[in-house]
Amino acid sequence: MFKELDPLLHSQLRLAVMSILLSVEEAEFVYIKEKTNATAGNLSVQLDKLSEAGYIGIEKGFAGKKPRTVCRITDKGRLAMEEYVNTLRQYINI
Amino acid sequence: MEERKLSEKESLDLITQMINSTKRNMEVGSGNVFLYWGYFTVFLSIVISILIMCTQSYIWSWGWMAMFMVGPVISYKQRGHEPAVVTYTDKTISKVWQVFGCMFGLTFVLIAIFCSFYERSFNFILMLPLSLLYCGLGVSINGIILREKWMIYSPVVAFVLVIYMLMALMEHGSVTVLWNLYFGLSFIVIMIIPGHILNNKAKKQCLKN
Repeated sequence: MFKELDPLLHSQLRLAVMSILLSVEEAEFVYIKEKTNATAGNLSVQLDKLSEAGYIGIEKGFAGKKPRTVCRITDKGRLAMEEYVNTLRQYINI
Repeated sequence: MEERKLSEKESLDLITQMINSTKRNMEVGSGNVFLYWGYFTVFLSIVISILIMCTQSYIWSWGWMAMFMVGPVISYKQRGHEPAVVTYTDKTISKVWQVFGCMFGLTFVLIAIFCSFYERSFNFILMLPLSLLYCGLGVSINGIILREKWMIYSPVVAFVLVIYMLMALMEHGSVTVLWNLYFGLSFIVIMIIPGHILNNKAKKQCLKN
């Protein structure tokens, strides 16, 4: 019996965001938007969902006079990604 | 990128693709911090040496305190230009320099405390070899992290000088004006050359991309 894939991660944009944050210490909103080719509005909504689940931390501040939003993966998020990839492996028999 | 469900294989492909996209190439100006420190130190060492030689007064050695200004000036210059992404490598390098920065500050404070207890006057000459040792170790560790051979091995020059200075202090207890020059000139090898190497590599990578 296969375990169910985490529905929060099993969506294109949210998975892309989590994969990016998994491999860096922190990334700015603009950087994630550029890498995922997402619209600002959509990305913002998905980031909020991940943040509400405790998978990422969002820090809003300023760089000089410009607003700056920085995202980081949390331990809970890292664990969720690990479980997600392990489940995926079971599905495709790696 | 749209909000849609993925097949299992698509998911794994997406994870791989995104992780690969974050493999960051060096940015132009990666070596600038080394250059700021390097050129300033060389300049300061020459100025201090000339002033000591001309006036025959070691009071000018206090000019080394200007080194404490470099960090805050660089931070001020970089204010508002925070990077869009911080990799684990960036974080590690930053932490390494924070540790050596703390050791530098702590050495200064401890020497001041011991001098005030035992000598009743302040003699910071030990700061020269110890600072050189910390900088050399910092550059070498940076080289290991960045896989840059020159940075790994060039601090040997600094270590040779450190040992020479410490031995001279133990044997004769005297310091020559040349120490200031040795200190500054060793920064050409351990900071300026690596700084230019990093910048050139970054430029080449940018041209390739």
